[in-house]
Amino acid sequence: MENGLCPGAEIGSPFVVDPGSLVDHSKRTFLRGAGMLMAGLLLPTARAGQGPRVQAGSGHKIVVVIVGGVRRDETFSPQGMVNIPHLSADLLPRSLFYLHARNEGVTAHFNAISSILTGNWQRVDDWGKLAPTTPTLFEQFRKGLGVDRSDTWVVASNKALTSLIGASSDSNYGPAYGANVVFPKQLMLMAVVDALRNGRTANMADRSKVEAELESAMEGSNYEGLGWNVFDASDRLDPRVRGSIETAIASFVRGGGPTSGDELTFFMSREVMRKFAPQVLVVAFSDVEAAHFGSFALHVSGIRTADRLAYQLWQEVETNPDYRGKTTMVILPEFGRDPDGSSTNGFFNHRANMDSTRDTWMMALGAAVDKPQIVERPIHHIDLCPTLADLLGCPPLDSQGRAIGEIRG
Amino acid sequence: MRIEDKLPGDIQDALSKGLLKRIPLTFLPFVNQQLNQWVNLFPNERQATERLLLYVASLNEEQSTALFHEVVELEEKMGVRNWQFSTTEQTIQNSSQLASSPYFQHWRQAVQAVFDAADAHVREANNASAKSGNRLVLLDIPQPLQVDAASVWQRWQGIGRPVQLDLGLTGEHNSALELLLAGTPNPAGLRSGGLLDLARSRPEAAPADVWVVDAGRSLVDALLAPETAGTAASGAILLSNGRLDLYRQSFSHEMNTMRKDLADADAVFDRLRKVDVTPWCPPEVAADPAIREFLRSLYLTGNGAVIFGNSFVEWAASEAFRRARPSFLAAQFGVRSKPKPFTGVAVFDNPDQVNPLPAIDDLPGSAVDARMLALYVWLAAYRYPEYQRSTVCVCVAESLSQAYVVAPPEFGLWKETEPVPLGRLAGALRAWMA
Repeated sequence: MENGLCPGAEIGSPFVVDPGSLVDHSKRTFLRGAGMLMAGLLLPTARAGQGPRVQAGSGHKIVVVIVGGVRRDETFSPQGMVNIPHLSADLLPRSLFYLHARNEGVTAHFNAISSILTGNWQRVDDWGKLAPTTPTLFEQFRKGLGVDRSDTWVVASNKALTSLIGASSDSNYGPAYGANVVFPKQLMLMAVVDALRNGRTANMADRSKVEAELESAMEGSNYEGLGWNVFDASDRLDPRVRGSIETAIASFVRGGGPTSGDELTFFMSREVMRKFAPQVLVVAFSDVEAAHFGSFALHVSGIRTADRLAYQLWQEVETNPDYRGKTTMVILPEFGRDPDGSSTNGFFNHRANMDSTRDTWMMALGAAVDKPQIVERPIHHIDLCPTLADLLGCPPLDSQGRAIGEIRG
Repeated sequence: MRIEDKLPGDIQDALSKGLLKRIPLTFLPFVNQQLNQWVNLFPNERQATERLLLYVASLNEEQSTALFHEVVELEEKMGVRNWQFSTTEQTIQNSSQLASSPYFQHWRQAVQAVFDAADAHVREANNASAKSGNRLVLLDIPQPLQVDAASVWQRWQGIGRPVQLDLGLTGEHNSALELLLAGTPNPAGLRSGGLLDLARSRPEAAPADVWVVDAGRSLVDALLAPETAGTAASGAILLSNGRLDLYRQSFSHEMNTMRKDLADADAVFDRLRKVDVTPWCPPEVAADPAIREFLRSLYLTGNGAVIFGNSFVEWAASEAFRRARPSFLAAQFGVRSKPKPFTGVAVFDNPDQVNPLPAIDDLPGSAVDARMLALYVWLAAYRYPEYQRSTVCVCVAESLSQAYVVAPPEFGLWKETEPVPLGRLAGALRAWMA
């Protein structure tokens, strides 16, 4: 009997076709193919355009790229490789690739990302109304090593996140040690809403005017609605950041390229890297979440976008003198998505307690990778935080996760 | 009239004897919602609810404690009594609290075990499976959506086989599905011999047994046209995404006022659960309260139904299978527009309102969506035992003049190797449904 007790009126019943059943065969094929294979206290305004500064702890830099929910089937599988040409061909051969990175927590956005960032499975409100209950990597790094806020950033597209993703509710840590958090896509949506409310929708069809709309959305009282948290400015954007954001918007609008939320997130992230060169940068892409609306084509397009933008971020790491040679970049999805035929409507959602939803992958690149290889041993999302904390030189953490041995400074 | 008075006598009797006091807390939102909505439930849902409640009522106290033991134990561990948990209806806050609990997956399994036990009890009591006639799921990926012959059926993983068709479509008709459903016109211009007419007039056809879901409006418009109206369409549930524009836009407009807050979300949903939707409905929906409520529930449960026509088709069909178990369901996919620049995907109910650039059809993207969602419609049906035997699924890809057929060996066209004219396909489907 099917019942309507569960969220979304969808409760477990056996699924008919599970693409995950192809994994064994796919894995072999995939493996064959893959075988080819106290410092930091300067203010941001002072940082921009000046020479190198002293880095906190080990001096290691971290860039974490978190993609929304993507299944193995559409990514690292024989049929999925076509969607990730950069990850599979350009980056895989030089990476430490974990074939199984498992999310064993709540497979919803806020909880998934906060679990990655804290090293503990978080079970808080899915709408981001509650902060993670244990300290984030940012807090541990900042408090443990006396690091300035300008050295820790989150740039995210995902609408399910709030500024609470940047710091925990732990009374020994908290917002005083949190990261800067910006949501570029929210800026874009607010610009659209403002234009609609004020009868200026024609501006959204004209690239030359979109830029002004975006800048207007970030100014004055509007800023609060964006849900950002930058340099403790509660109701208006810190002037130190304004120039960077304006540059990012200009690149986004004038570049003539695609105009999705993830594109703006990329430009903003790159600008943050160029202007502030933070030691810890977390970038969350979410165009793939068009899947919730049932468009498989737009979901796959989101995967291709994330693939390209993650690669461009890596290129920035390799060319930017503040990052080159001393940075580890990690790329991983928040979770998979539900299998075809599941009672939770397949790729639309990410609620099923099945491998298709829980079993993803993770790629590490850069300074902490001694030897590129594919690791079949499963790891967990919560293992990443203690691993990165080690790289940064943080004191040992109280974490459910365990540091990943192959990733070391 | 009180809600209880609308319930069957045996349920009224069980309720008066304190049945609800034996139901665990986390079951109550579902049970109360079903009872409150009784008049708008489909026959299959009423039977399912009745089975569960009468099964519980038939147990003595010790047995019912044993039945719910695991659920109650998990509720204790989860601390449900300390939550802000609605027992009258399912809310987003309820769902959020349940899903955040470390015991959520165990709870889901325990709940399913209770339903399975009720089902097993009914099977034993009846000592025989209910007889049901043949069933048909008919899907159409229409001509403008060009699909690739090499990959279009790949995800079906060989559960059926492709059959070449000789469609011979002319410009006079919108789609192969229209011809199959409405029949071909006679010299007087009237149509006859359509599958819809046959399906709705089957002696065993129950209410809500015949459904047509259209991503656009041309199919349902044709079925309601004077030359077919009154014959084929009557007695069938016709859902056209295009004809539901006002309903959909009114709903999504409300949803867009929602702040990112659970309490606010539940307040908006509460408003949408109560608002009179009749003025937003086309006549074929306005006339039937159960269908009006079906759509309300459909839009409230998301899955893109308010955003994209093809998502509407897939989710409406899936919910129809889950809730009504129709013996005949036909669905036609369609074309969506490309997302407009700088507006974000699918955020606004009416993209034309927020960006005056002309809408551009996304034909390749729509074809990819339809290809996937057609499979999902069949998988949604196959989840239920009723569709695991004596059911034919035919998915027509008009651009390839091909159909993918999932059918028992006795189906007429199962072994066909030559191109099958549309008339012959119609004949085989009529024979199957007769």
